Amino acid sequence: MRLPAQPGELIDRAEPLGFRLGEYRLEGFRGDTIGSALFANGRRVFSRSFKYHRPRGLLCCSGHCPNCMMTVDGVPNVRVCVEPLREGAVVTPQNVLGRLDMDFLSVVDKFGGPFTPVGFYYRTMIRPRFMWPVYEKFLRGVAGLGRLDEHAGHSRRYDVEHRRARVLVIGGGQAGRAAALAAATAGPGVVLVDESVRLADVELPGVEVLAPARALGIWEGKLVPVDSGTVLYRYRAERIIVATGTVEQPLVFPGNDLAGVMLPEAARRLIRDFSLRPGQRAIVLAADERAPEIAETLREAGVAVPRVVDLREGARQLEAHGRRGHVRRVVVDGEETKCDLVVVSGGRQPAYSLLSQAGGRVEYDESLKVFVPRDLPAGIEAVGSVTGEGIVRAEGAAAYEGSGKCFVCICEDVTTKDVKRSIEEGFDSIELSKRYTTVTMGPCQGKLCQLPSIHLYAHELHTYEATIGTTTARPPWAPVELGLLAGRHLEPTRRTSLHFRHEELGARMMWAGPWKRPYAYGEHPEDEVRTVHESLGVIDVSTLGKLLVEGPEAAQLLERLYPNRFADLKAGRIRYGVLTSDGGRIMDDGTVARLADDLYYVTTTSTGADAVTAWFEWWNAVWGYDAEIVNVTGALAALNLAGPRSRDALQRLTEDELSADEFRYLDAKHIEVAGVPCLALRIGFVGELGYELHFPSSAAEYLWDRLLADGARPFGLEPQRILRLEKGHVIVGQDTDSESNLLSAGMPWLPKMDKDDFVGKFALEHFAERDERELLVGFTMEDDVVPAEGAQIVVEGQPAGRVTSARRSEQVGAVIGLGWLPRDRADAGTRFEVRVDRRLVGARVHHGAFFDSAGERMRS
Amino acid sequence: MKEIFFPKRMWRSRGELKRRYDVVIVGGGSHGLATAYYLAKEHGAKSVCILEKSYIGSGASGRNTTIVRSNYRTPEGAAFYGESVRLYERLSKELDFNLMFSQRGHLTLAHSDRALVVMQERAEVNKLLGIKSSVVGPREIAALCPELDLSDRPTWPVLGALFHPPGGIIRHDAVVWAFARAADRRGVDIHPYTEVTGFQQSNGRVTVVETNRGRIECGQVVSATAGWSTLVGDLAGVRLPITTHILQAFVTEPLKPFLDVVIVSSQLHVYVSQTDRGEFLIGAEIEPYTTYKGTGTLSFLETSARHSLELFPQLERTKLLRTWTGLCDLSPDYSPILGKTEVDNFHVSTGWGTYGFKAAPIVGVTLAELVATGKTPELIAPFALERFHTDTLVSELAAAAVSH
Repeated sequence: MRLPAQPGELIDRAEPLGFRLGEYRLEGFRGDTIGSALFANGRRVFSRSFKYHRPRGLLCCSGHCPNCMMTVDGVPNVRVCVEPLREGAVVTPQNVLGRLDMDFLSVVDKFGGPFTPVGFYYRTMIRPRFMWPVYEKFLRGVAGLGRLDEHAGHSRRYDVEHRRARVLVIGGGQAGRAAALAAATAGPGVVLVDESVRLADVELPGVEVLAPARALGIWEGKLVPVDSGTVLYRYRAERIIVATGTVEQPLVFPGNDLAGVMLPEAARRLIRDFSLRPGQRAIVLAADERAPEIAETLREAGVAVPRVVDLREGARQLEAHGRRGHVRRVVVDGEETKCDLVVVSGGRQPAYSLLSQAGGRVEYDESLKVFVPRDLPAGIEAVGSVTGEGIVRAEGAAAYEGSGKCFVCICEDVTTKDVKRSIEEGFDSIELSKRYTTVTMGPCQGKLCQLPSIHLYAHELHTYEATIGTTTARPPWAPVELGLLAGRHLEPTRRTSLHFRHEELGARMMWAGPWKRPYAYGEHPEDEVRTVHESLGVIDVSTLGKLLVEGPEAAQLLERLYPNRFADLKAGRIRYGVLTSDGGRIMDDGTVARLADDLYYVTTTSTGADAVTAWFEWWNAVWGYDAEIVNVTGALAALNLAGPRSRDALQRLTEDELSADEFRYLDAKHIEVAGVPCLALRIGFVGELGYELHFPSSAAEYLWDRLLADGARPFGLEPQRILRLEKGHVIVGQDTDSESNLLSAGMPWLPKMDKDDFVGKFALEHFAERDERELLVGFTMEDDVVPAEGAQIVVEGQPAGRVTSARRSEQVGAVIGLGWLPRDRADAGTRFEVRVDRRLVGARVHHGAFFDSAGERMRS
Repeated sequence: MKEIFFPKRMWRSRGELKRRYDVVIVGGGSHGLATAYYLAKEHGAKSVCILEKSYIGSGASGRNTTIVRSNYRTPEGAAFYGESVRLYERLSKELDFNLMFSQRGHLTLAHSDRALVVMQERAEVNKLLGIKSSVVGPREIAALCPELDLSDRPTWPVLGALFHPPGGIIRHDAVVWAFARAADRRGVDIHPYTEVTGFQQSNGRVTVVETNRGRIECGQVVSATAGWSTLVGDLAGVRLPITTHILQAFVTEPLKPFLDVVIVSSQLHVYVSQTDRGEFLIGAEIEPYTTYKGTGTLSFLETSARHSLELFPQLERTKLLRTWTGLCDLSPDYSPILGKTEVDNFHVSTGWGTYGFKAAPIVGVTLAELVATGKTPELIAPFALERFHTDTLVSELAAAAVSH
């Protein structure tokens, strides 16, 4: 089957490789592509087309067209013409019901024509309406190309590598190689990328050659991702030289999709690379100057070429006929030629996509009859035939007359009739018609159909190609595996320095924003709640955002950021703070401790640290205060030691004085605990006497162990939520949403409206002028049912409010919660109804804390 | 059906501008065309035109990810979109054009207990308003979508989902074309490639619309220009609290369809569906910066590919075919701005962020009513531009952002 060894053939005849096509065992050579090996084994039909299920064979042999898409080792839609053959590969046809040579769905081709014109699905299956799902199910059954193993998992490892190049040359043809060599004389840092395996062994002095690899696009900042299979190289280049050459264009004539109709490059590759004779008897049809050259190449390979037609001489009628999808004869202006190969050349279109994506303009060159790139952005150049250089004008008909289906777009099975019809129907701009006919929307993305379709539109609309214009060139230049774009599966997870202690203790871990945190340590969170109320609990609160704000004007900065006052806060004291947006909405909350005149320690919510840091920095840049902001969230661990025994327990570990008089509620002090220097904050989020210790993360496990050894019991996030709810403390982001403000969320006492200014003051003044529509209040359920968070408060059958927090509290002896209610129903004691499991359950409004409302326990 | 054998023009080819139209609609997308259609159909309007600076459906109408749903969080939003879905359900028949509305269900995944709470709330609101919506667990998700990776392999395993059976996908271009055809047949003049360049006003009313093809006297003006709303608004002296951002999406090569439901993950900022052609259609969140530049970013492709593979690892070797961007007109509260402005006869449909396409029919119905009667229909009263003066915002952030 093979020709005698060709100069530069890619196959290694000493190394045969076995593979399978369905049930057949076949053989090829190392260096073959799966496509060339199949061709060597006499296979001519590779696939069935998208809509009509017509048999299709090798057309471009360059990985552009859909004709050779097959399933290889379970991976669908592999273009086998460029997929290297490997031992044991299992190849199966796709989009076939039956066999490749007998596809039952080809009835659509034989009989469906009149019933399935372009857009037929928009006109049919409308009535009766209830049948549409049935029709759709059928449509979906026949749609698509390859079948994916729906339950497969990850099988490959992909990586991303960031690289820089002084000069990145895309395309390794003559012009590209010359440009790379020229650039290399000026110094190192020249990289040449080419899709062909041929370039892999090419030595260019001073040039790094990356092949086979494909530049996918040119993005802003001269960013070029290069697909090399399993590694995505993200190149940033100072200068980009695009030498992507041209794409050979097919001819539009009836029967132009038969197996055996090939582009010149396909025939050339079969001969030169794989030593295969593309056919026995060929006819050459060229609309450009290449007819003699193509015929010569074929003859050298022993192909009989009884007829060579230079279409520039004005042939009008042209059609190909075949049997079982293989071309058998071609008729040109009434004269018939028997053949099994038709090599067609419709001219060459510059492969300008990358240049257009990069911001270059594309215009129609009337003299060349192709689209060429113009006005390239700075630092991006084009060389060689991509510029239009060396291209000879092709002069063929937009579509040749004849009988049979005549395809403009082989990916989507769009015929000239479809395009004409779409124009008749009023889809008379290329963009509209593209969307209606789906021409250029298939796997080749217009590489083989954009130019022919524009010629056809121009012809049909009696206008110029320049008026029609092109559709937008969108990345990527060639289809790319999602896995490659995804890279490695690295989703960052934040863990506190006590993560493994929690796991050892059997904690149930849960997501809290980007953090993993213990939900609870035992089966019953309420046990942990009891421990905190009765003796001593400890919770890892290292996830709190922690910021140092330091400088002579730190006080002014915070004074203006927060609605309440911080300039008058005394050193060593703490105050609760809520940040509001310009619109007066609640953004985040936390405590602010003044450690010195010019130094504040700010905590934020666990998810808010980065946003608050950015917010502070943004405003500080606007106002220009002399203050620095440092985010120390990761550097410091934090533990909240809480419960009536906490003072005694902590005192045993420190020499510092902790008595109620020396270390008061809302004091901040530097103390040494078990030898670890800590910033201790006396605050009471959970409602009991407690100390929040902030200290270097490296000491976290040590201090945790000491506290546990001393009798502290760990408690998790869930018990903390119950404890804070008993106090009526709000969780920003849970009880509040993006529209909540301080007045509606039960904190009207917080903003100091007599301050000169603060972020959100203007909006809060406006809020104050009118009554809030709804208010955040506490409630107690009448029955022992816990409504879901998000449950609706119902008034006269309509949603009127919502529950944001609800828990059963042993301490209170009832189900308690927080929720938003209409203002007229928010007075203490008002009864309302919550929808729980399809029924309405009564509840009563409760203002303030549910437990220890005077706060005696946390102040004790 | 007849038209497959006897092709008929969808609409008249573009004619000359008339000297005057009672109603000039700026923007030939789904909203503008729907408004024109309902004006002609429900209110017998005889003199209506559409001015479109490019081809019809060239903006967001032809660039969205075609998802239709009504499981919104606020009662105002849910009621509004609920009506829109009901209209969509009847639309193929009404317009005699198969819009391929595929109501195969919509799942919004929760990967954290916080997210579950939001789902719970949305389900509750929806149920009260008669919208089918419920929170389902992993077992029910597996039954609805066995291909989804529900194991604990992903960084954020799926804990549950909001299931919305009437949600699904529709052929977006078909919606545009069907409205255009129906409007055209009722006498609406559609003028593609006609760009508005200015408005002349007197006594607080727009009297003349200036275009690149000449001037038109007008009775009333509707601007349904999505990403370009602020620019068109500026021409009329109406300042809108809108920022324009880009949103990107991509499709893969076609595979035999296996994913029937629409899968959305807010945590992963990604939504995935498979079209009737077999392509996977994947979108993400809008870019945080404002721009009109439609070139897109590589980081979008990388992030959304990674996140899609968290949900569907079997797509690893599936190839991305094409990516595109669209403009989104974002309002501060993630709810639309619909209806009257301070200029008496200048009405807007804007603030659509990533959810405008879902609302096309109901926007058409309500805006047509407003234009014809001068009264704001109750359904869209909460979405008035005035709410930014009275501060009665409709916070849809939790359900609108990345929740297609």
